[in-house]
Amino acid sequence: MAAPIALHLEFGGGAELLFDGVKNHHVTLPSQSEPWDMRQLLAWIRGNMLKERPELFVQGESVRPGILVLINDADWELMGELEYQLQDQDNIIFISTLHGG
Amino acid sequence: MCQVDEEYNGHLEKISLPTLSKKCVKCKDGTAVLIIRVGDAFCRDCFKEYFIHKFRAMLGKNRVIFPGEKVLLAVSGGPASSSMLSQVQEGLSRDAPKKLRFVPGIVFVDEGGACGLSVEERQRAIAQLESIFREKGFPYHVVHLEQVFSLPGSVLEAVSSAPEQPGSSYKAAVDQFIQNSRGEHGLMEPSVEDAESGFAQLSTQDPTYPTEHRLALERLLASVRTLTAKEDLLQTLRQHLILHTARVHGYTKVMMGDSCSRLAVKLLSSISLGRGASLATDTGFSDTRYGDVVIVRPMRDYSSKEIAFYNRMFNVPSVFIPGLDTKTPEKASIQRLTESFVTKLQADFPSTVSTIYRTSEKLHSARTPQSAITDLTSKCLLCMCAIDTNTEEASAFNAILVSERLSQSGLRETAPHTQAQALPTESPGQCCSSGGQGQGCGSGDCCSSAQSSVTPDLKGLLCYSCRLTIKDMTAVETLPQYIMTEAEKRQRRLRMKMEISEFLLDDEESGE
Amino acid sequence: MPVQCSSCTKKRAVLKRPKTGHSLCKDCFFWAFEEEVHQTIVSARLFNRGETVGIGASGGKDSTVLAHVLKVLNERYDYGLKLLLLSVDEGITGYRDDSLETVKRNQQQYELPLKIVSYEELYGWTMDAIVKQVGLKNNCTFCGVFRRQALDRGAMMLKVDKICTGHNADDVAETVLMNVLRGDIARLRRCTAISTASEGEGAIPRCKPLKYTYEKEIVLYAYFKKLDYFSTECIYSPNAYRGHARTFLKDLESVRPSAIVDVIHSGETLSVKEGVKMPVQGTCSRCGYISSQALCKSCVLLEGLNRGLPRLGIGKHHRLHGKILAQQPLTQQEERKLKAIDF
Repeated sequence: MAAPIALHLEFGGGAELLFDGVKNHHVTLPSQSEPWDMRQLLAWIRGNMLKERPELFVQGESVRPGILVLINDADWELMGELEYQLQDQDNIIFISTLHGG
Repeated sequence: MCQVDEEYNGHLEKISLPTLSKKCVKCKDGTAVLIIRVGDAFCRDCFKEYFIHKFRAMLGKNRVIFPGEKVLLAVSGGPASSSMLSQVQEGLSRDAPKKLRFVPGIVFVDEGGACGLSVEERQRAIAQLESIFREKGFPYHVVHLEQVFSLPGSVLEAVSSAPEQPGSSYKAAVDQFIQNSRGEHGLMEPSVEDAESGFAQLSTQDPTYPTEHRLALERLLASVRTLTAKEDLLQTLRQHLILHTARVHGYTKVMMGDSCSRLAVKLLSSISLGRGASLATDTGFSDTRYGDVVIVRPMRDYSSKEIAFYNRMFNVPSVFIPGLDTKTPEKASIQRLTESFVTKLQADFPSTVSTIYRTSEKLHSARTPQSAITDLTSKCLLCMCAIDTNTEEASAFNAILVSERLSQSGLRETAPHTQAQALPTESPGQCCSSGGQGQGCGSGDCCSSAQSSVTPDLKGLLCYSCRLTIKDMTAVETLPQYIMTEAEKRQRRLRMKMEISEFLLDDEESGE
Repeated sequence: MPVQCSSCTKKRAVLKRPKTGHSLCKDCFFWAFEEEVHQTIVSARLFNRGETVGIGASGGKDSTVLAHVLKVLNERYDYGLKLLLLSVDEGITGYRDDSLETVKRNQQQYELPLKIVSYEELYGWTMDAIVKQVGLKNNCTFCGVFRRQALDRGAMMLKVDKICTGHNADDVAETVLMNVLRGDIARLRRCTAISTASEGEGAIPRCKPLKYTYEKEIVLYAYFKKLDYFSTECIYSPNAYRGHARTFLKDLESVRPSAIVDVIHSGETLSVKEGVKMPVQGTCSRCGYISSQALCKSCVLLEGLNRGLPRLGIGKHHRLHGKILAQQPLTQQEERKLKAIDF
């Protein structure tokens, strides 16, 4: 049984608009039998946080192409993407690259 | 960014479907059975006439197939190539003045070994196709993908053909043919005789292939990391097999069944794969990259919808054989993604396919100087198109080389100023520097000739796009022997050229 | 499982580069990013010493990064350029007024002079007013055409030698795909050019120093450098068809990250058949701006707005140019076709 973990989520580059315009969110993921990974986090965000048009944020079980993900300030492509196992106090940042020039 | 200095209207607007008119637009009498383009409803008879006419018009307009010429039809069993086969049969059997006058044969490449089909499934598919082919009465050749492991290196040589035919020589050939055929009747019905010899040949041919080749194919595919590269490589190997079959049996033209829908997808995926320079060759009516054997695409005016309707209405049989991308998700490969993109866009904007297709008609095959046709090092080892990495200094290709260099170890220490001086000015073929270092030859140390004779560094011999395919391979040496042998040969030639040029350069310098 | 930087091999990597697949730490990334833009500028000979260069600044990520990098490189390599920021105020309440605030902050942060030209002063129309007349469907056409010319006019006021814009690799690749989808062979041929030479009187040469820079890297550069940029979508909705091309491109990138630069390579190497008709560039007989028709797009659009016939500039109505030039009235039938009703 994994203990609940606290995360700092940040949405930027326009992605925050899908979350009531709020950039910073401190969330606590409930305890569950296996450790939390990014795949589950995205499903959790979709189920618990997304206010509108979830397809603009998640597609399939990943993020929509064009949204960058940083885990503790590093590109998630270096961290195993969906497989990354979340740690307590992790800092996860989502930056949309899709609008504005 | 909404940099809109463009007009989005006219053909891009969604076109609302017209109300179904009950009558055929052509004869104004028959009941319409399908709509071809927006608003054009045809009845059964007019559709048949239109479909048949279009095939002959395409061949007539382009005038590249000579009377009496041996033409190999590449049939995959799918709807478009099956439809092409039925059109050829139709054209040869008629007594109309526009009768087709070439001598057809069929090739089928059995790729079951690459697509995870069992031996039984493969045999069943081949048996189905053979019964179709036999009914047509044309000679046919069944080739297994495993046979690439016994191809000779000469496949990769583009043989220059007789000078390109101007209209007059075509006409002369037609006259000649008509005269000859008046004299001896036999020439007009060559198919029966050929068909028999075709069968004879086939029966002597061992239908199986050695186990080692089956294993070699498995090893090869296992070393390709992405489906994108797999599909690309499969396409290349298939072309080599067809080309070889054509040469061995004396065919000088090969007909491929690419429909307009297929070509639109191919054009867009070619762009995404970095094949811009070869677009015209890849999608045009005639494709002369091989020199002595010319590929033609007579089905390029038909949409897949027309083909599907025709096949269904006039009982053209086809055989469904699962391919590499069957049942794969949308994002499994660039090719697959492009296909689903075009299909979806076509559903919203009905002129998508025809617009993309028209783009292909305005393109020009990469300029190949006459001298370059025989110079093998100027053609890509794999796809045999002109090598497109001789770009200007400011180009995407060089930008990638710069990025690779800057992302590697040990370079950061170099003072920025000297770095700036060392701008990339590379010629393709310089052993490893041309390919961007990171991948081919271990970190930092440039490949010695000893090393490259074991696994030749292919990059300098490939076009931009085939480099990408090879980059997705973990073990280049699993490629068939004919490719590796030819690579070594070209590598030697390039090295020799370089040595000579260095020698000349030295000479010049000392003269100063 | 921290990944090591492939360049310094010491520090932890912070990003995977889409173009090459290498992993870099923050410092090596900054260095490589700036160095690549430098190489692009040098190899394409974008600028000459002593020139005044106007940076088209919208406050968005691309132009903010462009302004920052150009300032850095101008000092590091002593280009000897006089840089300034050039902004266009389209007159979109709640969008451009906010982003212009960002540009004004950039002006102070980078100590670069700033010039703002507005649609209102140039054309007598704000985008808000235009949308009121034409609706939401074709407004991007007006905005795009007007912006292009507005930037030139602003540049001329400041006697700028060259304009550079923040178009990145994704933008260029997207435009290649767009032009294929639209069958626009003339633009397909031109759209990969890194700079437009002076095309005639009224136009100032333009270039795209970020042409080979991925959007992903621009966003990360801005993020790690904590650059101040504005990121909100234009409230007058982007074009749907272009949206399709963008989505497709992003999907391609997710299948094979090099796809974006591969598309650009395709665009750079394809060749167009001779004999395919290409428009001939001339100049507008009303304002002198470059145009392939008797009247430039901007003048036609403006005429349409002023006559209350907004459709005039949408679609092809070249045969009416003569009448417009001669200030003749249009027939009732012509007028009816050009009113906004069925937009």
